[in-house]
Amino acid sequence: MNRSINVRLFGAFRQGNPESSLTVEIPEQGRVADLRRAMDAALESENARSLLKASAFATDSAVLDDRDPVPEQEVSILPPVCGG
Amino acid sequence: MIHVDITESELDPLAALDHCSSDAHGAADLFVGRVRNINDGRSVTAVSYDLHPQLCRSIFGEICHEALEQWGKDLHVYLVHRQGRLQVGEASVISAVSSGHRDDSFKACRFLVEQMKVRAPIWKQEHYTDGDSEWIKGHALRSSD
Repeated sequence: MNRSINVRLFGAFRQGNPESSLTVEIPEQGRVADLRRAMDAALESENARSLLKASAFATDSAVLDDRDPVPEQEVSILPPVCGG
Repeated sequence: MIHVDITESELDPLAALDHCSSDAHGAADLFVGRVRNINDGRSVTAVSYDLHPQLCRSIFGEICHEALEQWGKDLHVYLVHRQGRLQVGEASVISAVSSGHRDDSFKACRFLVEQMKVRAPIWKQEHYTDGDSEWIKGHALRSSD
């Protein structure tokens, strides 16, 4: 059984995705690594899939490890950061 | 005493110095990051800052607490970042620290800025005079393969 996860897009992931989010399916007990595979299949451009490899997933309060369970219905994908 | 925020409004260095003030503090350091007009040889007209507001505030708080742990619980620290499109010359980030003596505020102020740059979920898209735009490559937050 699968569940839907809404992935909020930031930074370069917003390029060509004006909706700013993407919904993918992962197994009910899926982990972040499953979410990463689902995103890889859902992203249309080679650039976005390449960016995915260097990106992290996060809740509103913490960055997740690939071994972590996906804790919520909505998470964010964070490409490499560059504030300031 | 910690103040962190994300804002679409113009940054105010005096507000930072006002926060970083105490009769027991003989030093206050202020850092202002601004949009410059050139990067990697390309002429820049503006920078758009995208960020994750909730997580950004959380990470800013963590960084500030770490500064207090390292340089003293009595520090006053201030870290505020802009979001949205900024023109050349506008301030994108302000970091400020006050402390009893100058060494702590110098070091802690730099710590806030350097940590913010590699840990906070902030992204910038540069806009160039030729009409092109580009997202800037940054520091990966991913911790495992």
